[in-house]
Amino acid sequence: MEQIAYDNPEIPLNVPQGFPSLNTSVDKNKPTKYGVELGERLFHEKKFSGNNTISCASCHNQSSAFADNNVQAVGIYGRVGLRNTPPIQNLAFMKFYNWDGNKLTLENQPLVPIITHEEMNSSILEVIGKISAEPEYKDLFRKAFGDENISADRIYRSIAQYEYTLFSVNSKYDKVKRNEGETFTESEARGYQIFQQKCAGCHSTELFTDQSFRNVGFPLNPSTEEAGRARVTGIPADFMRFRVPSLRNAEYTAPYGSFGQFPTLRAVLDYFDDGVLEADNLDPILKENGNRIPMTEQEKDAIIAFIKTLSDHHFVGR
Amino acid sequence: MKTSKNYLPLSFFLLVIASCGKDNPVANNITLHFDNTFSSTTIVLGDATSSTATVNTSADGQLHHFSELKYVISNIRLIKADGSEIPYNINDLDNGATVVDHSKPQTLDYILSNIPAGEYRQLKFGLGVRPELNTLDEARFPDFYAKAGANDTQMHWEWGTGYRFTKIEGFYDTDNKQLSIHTGSTVEGTNGEPDTYTQGVDAYRDITLTLPDNAVVGSNAPKITIKADFDKLLSGKTNTITLGEGNATPSTHAAVNMVLFVDNLGGDGSSDISGMFSTGSVEN
Repeated sequence: MEQIAYDNPEIPLNVPQGFPSLNTSVDKNKPTKYGVELGERLFHEKKFSGNNTISCASCHNQSSAFADNNVQAVGIYGRVGLRNTPPIQNLAFMKFYNWDGNKLTLENQPLVPIITHEEMNSSILEVIGKISAEPEYKDLFRKAFGDENISADRIYRSIAQYEYTLFSVNSKYDKVKRNEGETFTESEARGYQIFQQKCAGCHSTELFTDQSFRNVGFPLNPSTEEAGRARVTGIPADFMRFRVPSLRNAEYTAPYGSFGQFPTLRAVLDYFDDGVLEADNLDPILKENGNRIPMTEQEKDAIIAFIKTLSDHHFVGR
Repeated sequence: MKTSKNYLPLSFFLLVIASCGKDNPVANNITLHFDNTFSSTTIVLGDATSSTATVNTSADGQLHHFSELKYVISNIRLIKADGSEIPYNINDLDNGATVVDHSKPQTLDYILSNIPAGEYRQLKFGLGVRPELNTLDEARFPDFYAKAGANDTQMHWEWGTGYRFTKIEGFYDTDNKQLSIHTGSTVEGTNGEPDTYTQGVDAYRDITLTLPDNAVVGSNAPKITIKADFDKLLSGKTNTITLGEGNATPSTHAAVNMVLFVDNLGGDGSSDISGMFSTGSVEN
C-alpha cells in the first residue's frame, strides 16, 4: 500500500515581548503540527502507568494550569509523591525544570514519572509495548516522524514539543501591558506597585520568576529524601533551596510551596509577614529584613488582587 | 596438485587441534570474585537485632552493621603484561556490567568470557556507571535495566534517571539507628570541563588494581579475588565520617554528604585510585 506523505509544518514559537529567550533545546526539537498532536495525545495516555490509570494529565490538569490541587502529587494506587505538582506553562522559556532543577531539558523529563514508584510505576518498554498495540498510534507516529516506528526518543520528543507550545501570555496583566483596552482596578494597580517593591526581587521578568534557587525559610518537608537543590548539586549551600515558582495562574494552583505547605495565597503572605524559619543559607533579602517581609492586611489584599490578574482564563479553559 | 589435495584434510585437522585444543586455547574465562569485608572478615548481613551480623567499629568508634549491600561494577578493562588494554564490553551494560548483591552468592562471581590468552597484570573497572551510559535506557540495555531494577535489587535512581551505584542499608551506634547510604550521579555534562559541565555530581569512580601475580589466561581460567573492604565506608583514605542525623539516613540521596562516601568507597580519582578495593589473590 502506498504511504501517504504528510505535510508536517513547523509550529513557530513567537517569543512575546519581554520574555526571556527560548531554552536552547527547542532548537533541536522544534514543534511540528503532528509532533504536537502526538505529544498531546501521549500526555493524556493512561497506558503510561503500570495499571493504565495515570496519565501526565492526571496531575498536570489544564484547568489548574496543568498542575493539580493536591498537597503533594498523587500517583498510581493513590501513592503520594515527595512534592507539590508544578504547573506546566511557558516551559519553553525555562532553563531549569522541577522544584530542584534536576532536569535541564524537557526531553529528559518524561522518563522520570514513567518509572517512579509513586507516579506511574511502569517502564518505557512497557509503555511502548502497550501503545504499539493501538493502531491509531501507528498513524500518529508516521504523521509526526515519517514512519510508524515507536521509539522512546520519539515519545519524549513529541511530549516535549507539546509542552513547548503551552504558552500562557494572555492574562489581564498581559492585556494591560499590551494596551489591549484592559485596565487594572485601583486595588490591582496598588497591588502591582507593592508587588514590585516586595516580591519582584525574586518573581521577576515576564515569567514572574528569576529562575534562581533560594531558601526562603518555608516549613521543611519532613521526608529524609528532601534536600532541595542540594539533592542535585551536592553543594551544602543549596540545602533546601528551591526554584522560585512562576506566579502566572497562581490563582489556580493552590496549595503552595514545594510540598503544599500553604493552602492559600493569603497563607503564604501571612507567613512571610509573620517571619520565616532561620537558616544559614536563608535568602539575603529575608536576612536583611529580619527574616520577614512585612505587609499590612490591606497590602496583602492588593497583592493578591494583582496576582489574580496573572490568571489566563483562555489557557486554563475556564 | 593431487598430492597437495591429499594433504588438505590432515592440515585442516591440525589447525583445529591448534586453535581449540586444551594445550593452547586462544581465549578463556576470568572469574572476578568479590569478597565484601570489614577489614579481613567477610561480612555477614543482619537486621537491627541480629546476633550473627558482622559488626564493625569505625575510626571514630561507631558500631555499625549492614542488612543490605549492593554495588554496580562496569567498564572492566584488563591490562596485559605488555601494557596493552583489553576492554570487556565496556559500552554494553547488558554484557559488561553487574550488580554485586551480597545477599545473593551467585552475584559475587562475575565471569568474563572469551578473554584472549595471555598474561594480565592489572585490572581496571568502574564503581558505578559512566555518565554517558547512565541514563536508565531500557531499550538499549534491557537485561541490565531489569536486573538492576528488580524489586529485591532497587538499583534504579528514578528522579535522576540513572542507576544507583551503591546501596547500603544497616544500623549504627549501640541503639541501632538506621543507616541508609545510596550513591549515584546527577551530573549534566562532564565534570571538570567548563564547556559542557552545567550541574551535578559525578559519583562514578574508576578503580585500578595491580594484581599480586599475573593472571595467566590460556589453558587455565584464572579466578581473581577482589576484596571490597567496607570498613573504608566510614574510615576511608580520604574521609573519616561520623554518622549522625544529617548524613546517616537517605538524605544522603541529597548528594550533600554523598561525595564523602563515594570518595571513601571508590577513591577520589586522583591520589586514591582504588578506594575500598584491593586484590586478594589470583588463582591460575
